[in-house]
Amino acid sequence: MALIELQEVSKIFGFGEATTLALDEINLSVEKGEFLAIMGPSGCGKTTLMNIIGLLDRPSHGKYLLEGRDSSRLRAGRQAKLRRDRIGFVFQFYNLLPRLNVLDNVALPLAYRGMTPVRRAKRASDILELIGLRDREYFLPKHLSGGQTQRVAIARALINNPSIIIADEPTGNLDSHDSKVVMELFADLHRSGHTILMVTHNPELTRYASRVIYMRDGMVVEEESTSIGAIAKGALRTYLRKRKTTEEDVLAGVSALLKDVPGKAMTSEPKAKPKSKSKKRSRRALRKARR
Amino acid sequence: MFSGNVKTAINSLRSAKWRSLLTMLGIIIGISSVVTVVSLGEGLKQQVVGQINSLGSDVLTVRPGKLVSDGSAKEKLNLLAFLSTSTLSEQDVTSISKLPSVGAVVPIDFVTNSASNGGQRLDNVSVLGTSSELNDILRPKMDFGGFFTKDNAGDNVAVIGAAVATQLFGGVNPIGHSVNVLGQDFVVRGAINPSAGGLISAQQTDLNYTVFLPFEPAKALVDGKVNISQILIRAKTGVNPDAAVADVQKTLLQNRSGTEDFTVLKQDQLLELTGGVVNTATGFVTGLAAVALLVGGIGIMDIMLVSVSERTREIGIRKAIGATNRQILSQFLTEGLALTIGGGFIGIIVSLLIFVLLRLYTGLHPVINAPVMILAVVVSIVVGIIFSVAPALKAARKDPIVALRGE
Repeated sequence: MALIELQEVSKIFGFGEATTLALDEINLSVEKGEFLAIMGPSGCGKTTLMNIIGLLDRPSHGKYLLEGRDSSRLRAGRQAKLRRDRIGFVFQFYNLLPRLNVLDNVALPLAYRGMTPVRRAKRASDILELIGLRDREYFLPKHLSGGQTQRVAIARALINNPSIIIADEPTGNLDSHDSKVVMELFADLHRSGHTILMVTHNPELTRYASRVIYMRDGMVVEEESTSIGAIAKGALRTYLRKRKTTEEDVLAGVSALLKDVPGKAMTSEPKAKPKSKSKKRSRRALRKARR
Repeated sequence: MFSGNVKTAINSLRSAKWRSLLTMLGIIIGISSVVTVVSLGEGLKQQVVGQINSLGSDVLTVRPGKLVSDGSAKEKLNLLAFLSTSTLSEQDVTSISKLPSVGAVVPIDFVTNSASNGGQRLDNVSVLGTSSELNDILRPKMDFGGFFTKDNAGDNVAVIGAAVATQLFGGVNPIGHSVNVLGQDFVVRGAINPSAGGLISAQQTDLNYTVFLPFEPAKALVDGKVNISQILIRAKTGVNPDAAVADVQKTLLQNRSGTEDFTVLKQDQLLELTGGVVNTATGFVTGLAAVALLVGGIGIMDIMLVSVSERTREIGIRKAIGATNRQILSQFLTEGLALTIGGGFIGIIVSLLIFVLLRLYTGLHPVINAPVMILAVVVSIVVGIIFSVAPALKAARKDPIVALRGE
């Protein structure tokens, strides 16, 4: 049984003319212990996908099975409890509460579980010891460096021993040194059996992932399993190589520029999609291409 | 979780101290004024009741003006009657004293409101002309000397209240000194102990600020134009007070050929009446304070709404890490409650300070009233809940994704 299973999950925002299709019948399955990196241009639906997996949002259509149970139609209170017990969030901008000290920030999810102050302080202290920030317990977030702040945020995500850690561009706001420290921490967590879903723009970070999926226009357009330590091929192709677009492409418009992006949906002659893509999907892609 | 909420609430209020204090101001003003006014009313009532009770149950009071009946069971004294010239005359006193059912008759003639010691002048006193029988009815405790007697009826003597004695003669024994009223010197014969305090029945004159003169010399001061503000009557021993009331009523009606422009009250009626007047005044000011509380509550709602908007991101973060809507709701409710309960307590402290100041610097004697204070705290809790619900619901219903994007 997969830890996470999305079955034809779509997400639509807005009404009437202003309707946006943020996710387009996504099928995705994540096994326990995987380190999944999600890449794609801005606005491709990565964050929406994370929000749905993280139970912050509900799919408009389709099914989301978390640990085999349909979790997309649960009541808000139940979802909040699942979020608290099963999911740990790490955000690009840390999202620690500025008025609480490091210890209280890390212990906060335990407070929502109703644990006594003494017990949660002990637990938070243990986790901070683990990530090497025990000596910063009584600091306010504003007194920490970016890397330290993000490690505190990771500690908070870990405090309830979640099944999934969702990291949305966790190094997006860090310098290369702090990025490395934070990513090594994620690597350690991965080695110790945690399931990690990470959105990133940085192809370098695919070295830490066991699988990479590429998204565009709300669809998963390509996915590849990678060996730990090696940059994913798709990521390399997209971000490190020289651009393939020419001046004519620029004149031809946006769709031609998109041929740089992994996946073949946007090329002029769509070919068969990776995995089993339905005809419906191809037609929709075509419509988009024409637009 | 609740202790966590309280901690969070106090932290967040402390992080914006001035704003919290200003927000609480409406509640502070409302609560402190309610507590102060009710305590003052209670103090006044106790003083009056004490005084009236000390007169004994066989004492009747005749007052100018007629009780107005508004159709309900409860009758009210025509308050305006006090402002006009008294309708009671010396003849009334004489004719009542002839009644067989009546023992003593004591007129209270209001002469003026100022007295001096030749140099220093007091303008907040009541100079009253009365007869020596007042001593039997009031039985005031004396500091120096004694009350004037029948033998002094035509003498220029005076009995002064404790506050008058202190303010005109300092700490020294005032006996033998003179009090000057309207140009005439009166030799002080006695000074009343401050503990006598209290009021002369419902006329609400503080004994401490009173100068008593014998009736005749007092009458001479105003060229015989007496202004009798009330007549105290003691029924003869063994006579039913109700019978005495009927006799007095009959006599007075005869004097006025049937026009009823006076009221004869027994002690219990007087108590009820005075209590009623004080209660009406207290109720009125309490109503004003309730408006202050309402405005204070709206202020709290306003600030809470601002706070919810400002902390949108915080709400998003809390929801992302697992806070349920109910937990967010209770967090913001606790915060609103902390504001109002804090305001309530500060209001009570302020009213206690006002008590001390009033007791030190005025003749008023507010009474600390525990039920009112408890009620004040309860009211502030209710105000807190009512006016925090809307902002707290707004916070609880925020979409976590939108909230996380918020600044």
